[in-house]
Amino acid sequence: MESLLKILAEIRPDVDFEDNKELVDSGELDSFDIVTLVGELCDAYDIEIGADDIVPENFNSVEAMMALVTRLQED
Amino acid sequence: MAFTSMQFVMFLALAVAAYYLTPKRYRWVTLLVVNYVFYYFAGVKYFVYLFATTLSTYIATRKLGDMAAQNKAAYDAAKATLDKEGKKAWKAAFTKRKRRILIPTLLFNFGILAVLKYSAFVSENLNVLLEKISAPIQMPVFHFLLPLGISFYTFQTMGYLIDVYREKVAPERNIGKLALFISFFPSIVQGPIGRFQTLSEQLFRGNSFSYEQAKFGVQLMLWGAFKKLVIADRAGVMVDTVFGFPETYGGTYIAVAALVYCIQLYGDFSGGIDIATGAAQLFGIRLDKNFERPYLATSIPDFWRRWHISLGAWFRDYVFYPLSLSKFFMRVGKKGRQILGNYVGKLLPVLIPQFIIFFLIGVWHGAEWKYIAFGFYNGTLIVLGILFEQPLQNLAKKLHIQTECFSWHLFRILRTLVLVALGKIITRAPGFHVSLSMMHSMVTNWDMDALWTGGLLQLGLDIQDLWVLALASLVLLAVSIMQESGIRVRETLAKQNLYFRWIIYLSAVFSLILFGVYGLNYNAADFIYRGF
Repeated sequence: MESLLKILAEIRPDVDFEDNKELVDSGELDSFDIVTLVGELCDAYDIEIGADDIVPENFNSVEAMMALVTRLQED
Repeated sequence: MAFTSMQFVMFLALAVAAYYLTPKRYRWVTLLVVNYVFYYFAGVKYFVYLFATTLSTYIATRKLGDMAAQNKAAYDAAKATLDKEGKKAWKAAFTKRKRRILIPTLLFNFGILAVLKYSAFVSENLNVLLEKISAPIQMPVFHFLLPLGISFYTFQTMGYLIDVYREKVAPERNIGKLALFISFFPSIVQGPIGRFQTLSEQLFRGNSFSYEQAKFGVQLMLWGAFKKLVIADRAGVMVDTVFGFPETYGGTYIAVAALVYCIQLYGDFSGGIDIATGAAQLFGIRLDKNFERPYLATSIPDFWRRWHISLGAWFRDYVFYPLSLSKFFMRVGKKGRQILGNYVGKLLPVLIPQFIIFFLIGVWHGAEWKYIAFGFYNGTLIVLGILFEQPLQNLAKKLHIQTECFSWHLFRILRTLVLVALGKIITRAPGFHVSLSMMHSMVTNWDMDALWTGGLLQLGLDIQDLWVLALASLVLLAVSIMQESGIRVRETLAKQNLYFRWIIYLSAVFSLILFGVYGLNYNAADFIYRGF
């Protein structure tokens, strides 16, 4: 979780990732952020995130992102 | 059958009555029949295209669903024996098999759209080229009439196909229900482009009548008709005058016409969407939002998040993400970082697909060079906006510009409006070259005095009509600002006293009757986006 928060803070230092649970639904993260984030996540965790995984539920909170990463690592 | 015709009002009343008189279980069947009757009025010969899309999508999605079920069973059985590489290879092989179904179905359906919409444009331009190189052959040019709503229902249906391919939704097993999703009459004409996830349940379950929903539906339809008939069609007179005679009207007139065209297009398109959304609400169905006060946007990307939202979301989910997350663009990003530095390199997988999307959105509007130019114009603005966002913020800080105040916000809104209006000149002018000379004239022949010394009265509207247009536009602006501030207008109105409510309702109806612009047989002008 710490490493994920670090990645997120580098991409959008202005966003409160720990408390916001509607990052996509509230418009805090836009499609540009998502693409940049996906690139970083793929590199950092050696996973492949496809367009199929890009749904708000997977990116609305840090916990959801971590769950996505864990699922893709296990798959 | 135009949304603003009496014929449509009668059709809708009968359709709503038929829907609620049918037993709940079969209400979806009634709705399907209603859709097809509506489509029949557009021309019986167009059914062939609608059926082709329905049938091909049904077959493909059923096949994809069966494949996914079989694959899941086989994968679950074999999972324990596979290592990470083995799992990857399994997934890749399955994706490849699914693509053998997906790609031909996409090609078939977008192919129909492409042939009907773009073949004449391509043939004509090829012929110009062939003539230039003195080739002895010429391509035949076919001008097809576009089936009603083909751009909208094709996008909606292909979105569903891709969702099934991605295993986000289960394929619909009943072809009648799929046909209903594809042909839902309020949204088939000019959108919004719906998603299966949000529409299917509402369409298939058989809704109960709700007085509240019906009341809000009628109010929204009246508001839509007001935007279309009182504002858009009146503004259209001025716009047609200036853009119809660009040699006669130069300079300031073009700026006025561009601004009025912004109002016309918004009134026309969002008015049509309001009527569609209100009509759907009469059946207890909520359509997706298509507008969110676009002219209050503070940047071009913000504008496109607020204008024709369902089309932008479609391109984002089905084109932008697959492109920018593809291995190719990921590699481009990495290479870009090495060559161009971290800042630009990181942005490349976003910038290039974004440019491609705006090009496609431009072309989606029609088969003409001006729409291609419009796509390039917006793509360039978006790319420049992203590239210079950070440097401009730094510059503002250095110059000690206060960016958190109302005046800066207003400045950004006006700047965006000017850029949008310039784009509208490109699409509204008779051709791309004409639009360039109009913009040139706007800059070089600026003469505000001409407008106030009777110039405005030469644009097809008399003084009363100008006042109606100005006041109605102000009402639209006031409502937009209220909504932007979080006020839900219909809900707020419902809480007011009976007398006040009815004054508002009756004023709305009478303003429509008195100030609506009607042509022969009381029929309004066609909706602009219906043509796309």
